[in-house]
Amino acid sequence: MKARARRVLGAAAAMALMSGAAACGTSPGADPDTVVITVMGMPAATNTAALELFQAQVAEFEELNPGIRVVGSDVPWDAKTFAARLAGGSAPTLLRVPLTEPPSLIERGQVADIAAEVAELDSFEELNPRVMQFLTDDDAVYGVPEKSYAFGLVYNRSIFTQAGLDPDVPPTTWEEVRAYAAQITERTGRVGFGEITTNNSGGWHLTGYTYTHGGAMIEQAGDGHWVAAFNDRPALDVLKWWQQLRWEDDSMGDNVLGKQEDMLAEFVAGNVGMWVSAPPDLYPNYVAAGGDPADYGAGPMPQAGADATLAGATVLMVNANASAAERDAAVRWIDFRALRPNFDPEIAEETAAAAAADGLPVGVPVLPIYSQEKYEEIQAAIADHVNVPVENFAPYVASLETFEYVPEPVVASQEIYAALDPLVQAVLTDPAADPAELLAEAEGRVNTILEQNQS
Amino acid sequence: MTMAPERVLGVAASGPGDARGHRSDRRSAGRRAGRRRAAAAGLVFLLPALVIFGYFAWWPIAQSVVLSFQQTNLVSAPHWVGLRNFAQLFADPLLATAALNTLWFTGLSLLVGLPVPLVCAVLVSELRRGGALARTLAYLPVVIPPVVAVLLWKAFYAPGESGVINSLLGLFALGPYPWLQSPVLAMPSLVVVATWSGAGTAVLIYLAALAGVSRELYEAAELDGASVRRRVWHVTLPQMRGVILILLLLQIIGALQVFTEPYVMTDGGPANATVTVLLMIYRYAFLFGNYGVATALSVLLALVLVVVSAVYLRLTRSWSTS
Repeated sequence: MKARARRVLGAAAAMALMSGAAACGTSPGADPDTVVITVMGMPAATNTAALELFQAQVAEFEELNPGIRVVGSDVPWDAKTFAARLAGGSAPTLLRVPLTEPPSLIERGQVADIAAEVAELDSFEELNPRVMQFLTDDDAVYGVPEKSYAFGLVYNRSIFTQAGLDPDVPPTTWEEVRAYAAQITERTGRVGFGEITTNNSGGWHLTGYTYTHGGAMIEQAGDGHWVAAFNDRPALDVLKWWQQLRWEDDSMGDNVLGKQEDMLAEFVAGNVGMWVSAPPDLYPNYVAAGGDPADYGAGPMPQAGADATLAGATVLMVNANASAAERDAAVRWIDFRALRPNFDPEIAEETAAAAAADGLPVGVPVLPIYSQEKYEEIQAAIADHVNVPVENFAPYVASLETFEYVPEPVVASQEIYAALDPLVQAVLTDPAADPAELLAEAEGRVNTILEQNQS
Repeated sequence: MTMAPERVLGVAASGPGDARGHRSDRRSAGRRAGRRRAAAAGLVFLLPALVIFGYFAWWPIAQSVVLSFQQTNLVSAPHWVGLRNFAQLFADPLLATAALNTLWFTGLSLLVGLPVPLVCAVLVSELRRGGALARTLAYLPVVIPPVVAVLLWKAFYAPGESGVINSLLGLFALGPYPWLQSPVLAMPSLVVVATWSGAGTAVLIYLAALAGVSRELYEAAELDGASVRRRVWHVTLPQMRGVILILLLLQIIGALQVFTEPYVMTDGGPANATVTVLLMIYRYAFLFGNYGVATALSVLLALVLVVVSAVYLRLTRSWSTS
């Protein structure tokens, strides 16, 4: 009887193992010689014109590269799910991430070294070192930029006109922004200056504003360790400026607890006069959300003496689990889709013509990912297809030539931003908040974060 | 306590040198073997469920405990770090804030969330007509997806005079109040949402329990001249105490794990006023990629819940028996 029980148990265990083994098998019908890569950056199904252009590019790429199959993913970057998807084997081969992400992705070993693959590209050596410094480590290369941007003032030209302000002359200093905001609220009843404070955006903006006052968020101590550097005048001035707008002028509206997507919706709806963002990066989303291109204004990042602005980029990286063949295919796709249109005038013209034919924005002024000369060469090549009101970006573009570009904190940027969100929220929701006290508290917390990240 | 028949037989027929005793021993041994066979067969039938449950429920729990002593990037093999994750957690000043906020939410939830469904259930049970409609209306919030409900409430709580609630209060010359924008009002505002979305289930359970209360007890109380308040206090509540105590425990456990409302409505703000323990776990894991610390905090929270449940059950053991 015992033997029978053992047989039954054995059979049950075997069934369990077999069912597990079946689940782990390879999918039928896969051609073993074809390299399949999943790439982020496919436009959403609702953006039909952009999606059609993407699919046409995939077809052309596959024809040029037999043996490679490209599967697009319209799921945007989400740090919250990436690690789990990477562990589960469902993360895309090619990642498209904001420039704040590479330091932590590289540190955690979640992205691949593609130095050997990018060395084959003609244009690699000419990529802008300002961005590449965050994507390289000694001889290793972990990514390339797709586009680059800098903080600036986004404003509604129509609201400016209604408030009696000249839409071609946006404010250039924080004091001017304060005066403009008060006038907008007084004359139109709308939010003069909007602010975002959740999902790390409060800390992100505090960082960008502090740079314009000549401050820094972190600095390297004598022993090479990074420590908090924001508990001084520049950040304090930013917090006090926010308090003035919120509690003295009442020009920021009542809702100060939102993130970038919330503010974009309010801006598209014509409820907000001005706010700070990356104007070129925001524009396609603004148009896709139904915003009127004629109302979109881009001004310089307001300053308080430093002539500096926070710079960022969207970068392309390859998942650490990719095989050599997948890495090679992914870099070929990066070159085809992202680099050539910014490097080869002929390809740039072809791509711009196709995009314009599909009604997509062409000619949004951006920071160059190659040299300024190369950027101007490309702009000249696509000039006939530009459909963006470039003149609305003129004040922003003019400022780019004069400002210093300051990168985001190189250590634990997202954790630092998360620690600073409550500080920004406190000054905007509590009229009795003491900025100096809040800065001192935040300094301690950020130093703890930095210590833990460098130990 | 009654003794099993075969055991009684075995004791009665166990005299030394007794032939009947040997036969009886053999019979008894045979029965024991039969019971073992039956148990083995039962185990075999139970095995698939045990494997599935063990693999998808117990194994991840065990893995979580292991992970709380490790550091991992979910790509390369994790390595042991001892108690470093716990040390890092206790060095985080936000932990105390989150723990206090969670307790504050739990306290408020019990204060509002315990009596409201009970009163609703008693009132609905007293309705002579329209009971089905009232039950449906009470349960309706439960079937609305939580994120949708929470976003709806976010619109209700919009600050300024244009917000739905502020517009209504404006009719009585009250407000406008900043609700979610205020460090003081934010947490109570979340409690209202949590109570609204969770009360329906409790109402239905209370109604089911109320249906089980004998009408004769009410009739007897009425004959004795008891008022409605006295009937509720002396008949209804004592008869339902078992259900009330279990729902209270579930509510405590649920409230200590609050996540959706602060995550969707405030992201822990303003100024950390609604940061909860689960929100911290979420941030450590998915925002900062620090799975070791996230699981360390999860393990601590689980331990707290176990202790709270055990203490609660021990304290209420004598009250819950009807």
